[in-house]
Amino acid sequence: MRNILFSILLLGHISLLLGQESPMNGTEIIGFKDLVNETSKTTQTIQSDFVQYKHLDFLSNDIVTHGKMVFKSPNKVRWEYTEPFRYSIVFLEDKLLINDGGSKSNVDMGNSALFQKLNQLIVNSVKGDLFQDSDFNMEYFKAQDYYKVVFTPRDEKIKSYIATFILIFDKVQAAVQEVKMVEPSGDFTRIVFTDRKINQTVNDAVFSN
Amino acid sequence: MRYFLISGMVLLLMACGSYPKKNNFQKVEKATMDIINPYFSDRARDYVYKAKITFADKSFGGLFVVKKLDEDQYRVVFTTEMGNKLMDFSFEGNTFKVNYILEEMDKKILIDLLRKDFYVLIRERSTVIHQYAKQGDTTLLETRAGKGTYFYYLYDNKLQKVIGAGNGKEKTIYDFLEIDGYLAKEIDIIHKRIKLSIHLKAI
Repeated sequence: MRNILFSILLLGHISLLLGQESPMNGTEIIGFKDLVNETSKTTQTIQSDFVQYKHLDFLSNDIVTHGKMVFKSPNKVRWEYTEPFRYSIVFLEDKLLINDGGSKSNVDMGNSALFQKLNQLIVNSVKGDLFQDSDFNMEYFKAQDYYKVVFTPRDEKIKSYIATFILIFDKVQAAVQEVKMVEPSGDFTRIVFTDRKINQTVNDAVFSN
Repeated sequence: MRYFLISGMVLLLMACGSYPKKNNFQKVEKATMDIINPYFSDRARDYVYKAKITFADKSFGGLFVVKKLDEDQYRVVFTTEMGNKLMDFSFEGNTFKVNYILEEMDKKILIDLLRKDFYVLIRERSTVIHQYAKQGDTTLLETRAGKGTYFYYLYDNKLQKVIGAGNGKEKTIYDFLEIDGYLAKEIDIIHKRIKLSIHLKAI
């Protein structure tokens, strides 16, 4: 009986250890970055579905929205919500094209310079290649099933808006599975990517909005 | 001179005719009805609307979120579609608190305007000052909030719209549309004196 109890405790302890994250060491960080860069270099297009969870502490449930993302190298991104409303933003080199349920604009008052930076961060994260960004300090973690990078803003203005920006990568290709943007209040936006298709033909018309 | 003054006053009085009078409502001697706005009154519900705000020729969208936290206590948050928080307000009785507002939007005139608009939307009970009636089933209930006068339109005993009035004229219209029980699936806020309108659609 004592042996059984001991085994259970031991197993519990091991699974706890396995589920834990630990910081990567210097060599692991270099290896991880190489993997991300390799994947990024060979990626010409990405098409992916996503689910966005907006967590506000005072709500009973997160606000869940669904959508699709299309990326074409080097820097075209279409970010589209399909449920429960239709809204899309196309990020081109230096401009935004917005289609809000049929009404189109390329100015968006809600898109301040800060938001452009944050939204660009989300869409760039799809490529995974964010490690050149000097606006953030980065910490690297590993777990059994994923890699995790925590970005902490250096700039005071960004810091007042966002406490951390977290990316979760799968371990095989180091492709981004999940993005989480945590506000100083603890409220957060979490985006989970599913059904990712790599390097399939993407027509440029997708980015006309 | 005296004649001039009197005609001036008469003209002024005519221009200041009350809102109910101008809209052919008759005053009811004794008010019998209460003002109850049920559209944000359920504490178990997260009220989430897709919002479209139009100011002059510019527009921007977002999500408008309301939660009743306690009796007379509400949280009102506005975010972009991508989840960026634009503003976060708390209402508790007569006190109002800005928990967060994006620096670019931190203008007193804008905050005052939104505070008034959101307060009209969420305020559940108000004291009736006068009651008016019109042929058919329309009842008009007059109340005050701050310095403003508001008229609540009830058709068939159901709140349909609120008019913020000044000098007998409509200043702001709050239209509750597509009403399903105690939920207004669409809400329009239209300002008459400034080119600002807000359209909300429940999601």
